[in-house]
Amino acid sequence: MPNAALEGIRVLDLTHHIAGPYCTKLLADYGADVTKIERPGHGDPCRRIGPFPQDQPHPEKSLLFAYLNTNKRSVTLDLKSEAGTRIFHALLNEADLVVESFSPRVMLSLGLDYESLRRSRPGLVMTSISNFGQSGPYRDYKATDIVEYALGGMMYVFGANHREPLKHALHQAQFKAGTNAATASAMAVYRQQLVGECEWIDISIQESMASALRDTASLYSYMGAVRRRHAEHTGDIPRSPTKVRDGHVVPISFGAVDWEVTADFLDEPRLREPRFSTPEGRMARARELDEVLRESFARRNKFETFYEAQKRRGLIYGVVQTPQDVLDSPQYQARGYFVDIEHAAIGTATYPGAPFLMSETPWQARSPAPALGQHNDEILGGKLGYPPGELTRLRAAGVI
Amino acid sequence: MEGIRVVEMGQLIAIPAATKLLADMGAQVIRIESCSRLELYRATSLYENSADGDYWNRAANFYEQNRNKLGLTLDLSRPRGVETLKELIAVSDVFAENFTPRVMRNFGLEYSNLRRLKPDLIMVSSTGYGHTGPWSEFGAIGYSTEAASGLTHITGYKDGPPALPEIPYADYTAAEHTAFAVTAALLYRARTGVGQFIDVSHSETLSSTVPEALMDYAVNGRTFERMGNRHPEMAPHGCYPCRGNDRWIVMAIATDAEWTSLCHTLDASDWLLDSRFADAPSRRTHHDELDRLISEVTHLWDHYELMHQLQAAGVACGAVLDGRELLFDPHLRARSFYRTQIHDASTGMPPLPYAGAPFKMLETTESSVCPAPLMGEHNRDMLSGLLGMPESTLQTLESDGIIGYGPVSHLEPTIVPLEDQKRQGGILDYDPDFKGTVRKEFYPT
Repeated sequence: MPNAALEGIRVLDLTHHIAGPYCTKLLADYGADVTKIERPGHGDPCRRIGPFPQDQPHPEKSLLFAYLNTNKRSVTLDLKSEAGTRIFHALLNEADLVVESFSPRVMLSLGLDYESLRRSRPGLVMTSISNFGQSGPYRDYKATDIVEYALGGMMYVFGANHREPLKHALHQAQFKAGTNAATASAMAVYRQQLVGECEWIDISIQESMASALRDTASLYSYMGAVRRRHAEHTGDIPRSPTKVRDGHVVPISFGAVDWEVTADFLDEPRLREPRFSTPEGRMARARELDEVLRESFARRNKFETFYEAQKRRGLIYGVVQTPQDVLDSPQYQARGYFVDIEHAAIGTATYPGAPFLMSETPWQARSPAPALGQHNDEILGGKLGYPPGELTRLRAAGVI
Repeated sequence: MEGIRVVEMGQLIAIPAATKLLADMGAQVIRIESCSRLELYRATSLYENSADGDYWNRAANFYEQNRNKLGLTLDLSRPRGVETLKELIAVSDVFAENFTPRVMRNFGLEYSNLRRLKPDLIMVSSTGYGHTGPWSEFGAIGYSTEAASGLTHITGYKDGPPALPEIPYADYTAAEHTAFAVTAALLYRARTGVGQFIDVSHSETLSSTVPEALMDYAVNGRTFERMGNRHPEMAPHGCYPCRGNDRWIVMAIATDAEWTSLCHTLDASDWLLDSRFADAPSRRTHHDELDRLISEVTHLWDHYELMHQLQAAGVACGAVLDGRELLFDPHLRARSFYRTQIHDASTGMPPLPYAGAPFKMLETTESSVCPAPLMGEHNRDMLSGLLGMPESTLQTLESDGIIGYGPVSHLEPTIVPLEDQKRQGGILDYDPDFKGTVRKEFYPT
């Protein structure tokens, strides 16, 4: 019996950067057989994105690439050459799923559009990930993560009202689209295995962002209102990171704030003064209230506040964990979240592991991210049967 | 996913948004609700900002997360309610829930019990910090789990505290991973006949999307600095004011060619002669001054117009769309991203648009969208159709209050007049004519 959820599912991975590789990482980490096709010489541009160990850029040492490409095999292939296309089609015959993240029209220009691939490989599932999808007036617009935050609606409701809108650090839009692409791919493969039907999945990173916005567009269709960013001095407990002595906590209550519980919890008698005893009073003296809260929180420590709040009715405070806190977290450690993976160029490093736990088919790190073209001989020679002399010729011609 | 039946005991977003993706693709999702413990999302963001009438059937948050599902109410505080739920689970493929572990234990709904009823059951438990470990029983919502993930600490204005968006972001990330996990488990079951238990921690799923920061600390001992909208390499990279009230554009300049295009489009060719801006490292060094200069020009432009002009010149940029602009954005309209749902007449709500799924299956004809269920809407269909209960049993369940059609204890919805919300800064503005505007675009007949 297979011991991984997606064992036996064969994926041809034409993706690069982050969104596509995160999609195929999820598939690979849960057992799919993923062959990553990279451009000869250069490979996935993500190989050049940091961080790198000791800040020494090296195409085999990108930590982001190493994370995103666990459990995959790498084959280099010039898809613009005739020989490269021939090899691609040989690989296609062995594949259940093709995932690609080129700009729309690139696959067509390579003769590898969905219609053509489906003809040579009946029942194929193909997943296309792009900034704005395969259709529509912005189809060919350029984007990076911040552009997806803006056009996906996330940015307008992020940050302070009196300042410019904000985005999350790093590459959240890419990861979000990659996750959705993995789900859609798995759903289509499920149907493929049941009824043998082909499918083309169109993932727009913009739509991934816009589908994760609670009552933002709906606030207009429901009451004509345009939701904004974070207001200051609201006369309420700020539901945003609040400074404590050694970091920040997020003072959240479930439902409305119980001021008695809060005054007691913060051990702050001033919160019981008549000036703060009604919502109107707190609103009218919002600045004073914020000052009192600021002083009360500043006396405390983050984890002590977090743990103590959990014991109080209705208080479900969060703690802003630094990366170090996450790595040291007793919760993450108890669940075995972080894993050490040995990689030929990087050495042994600590990686985030299973995003979720499956009782019968656990997440597995079977192999580290591949070196560029590491599996050319294994796959082209071993699997497709190209003799060594032919591989040498292909290499000399720059096809692999 | 046609043919798959999911019983969902969900609340808020983390599970409801996950099972919505399954429901959108054809799974039958039966959502269990309680009449005595009303779901918070049935009492927030109410149509016309009014708590009149059956407000629990007029809540935006509920309709957003629960379309294409069937609604069944059950009083689980009584044995008959729990027994009925177990009967449903016994004829289902997936049981999905997002309560703290003690809640399922109290109902006797742990996986070890349920798999005796349905040996190949797939169960998913979605919790803030995970089903095991010292934090497993901690209460959490999206803002706290986002804070715990490591993402919040590195997010925020350069000179400010860590920042969270106004929406519970981590819940969505958890939901997206959960939909993948359930589908993977279904694939495994289809080939082996074996079900399993899936344990989703919201903070851990989000941590899986910030490997750069976590590995930089693990390998280099370094903690990412908050840098607002700036980028370690691209410059200029940021958000700039445009003409109008709270209008903005973002741009990300990756190459010198794009920088040249930007200067030409903004009619600021003199910047090209300025040695402070000659290449990306120099532009990063002088980013503050660059931001000041760019803002002086962009604030004269309409954000959409500038986006189109810059994109035509090959610059990655985007208008910062607010909720209203998203609804009417020409690109999203051309792709029918927001789709109209027709509400039950009893709600008094007209047909309204809702965000679609984050993927399009181009070979599958999209079925029509059913709005989220009214409370108890499918009680009778499910119990008689699926469990074969006779009419007399249904009547007993109704008279005993095991099933119901509205809350028996109310969450008093907090209605803040829009004018007050505007003054307090929660909303930018409101449009008294929104009904006509929405109808014209999304339900013109």
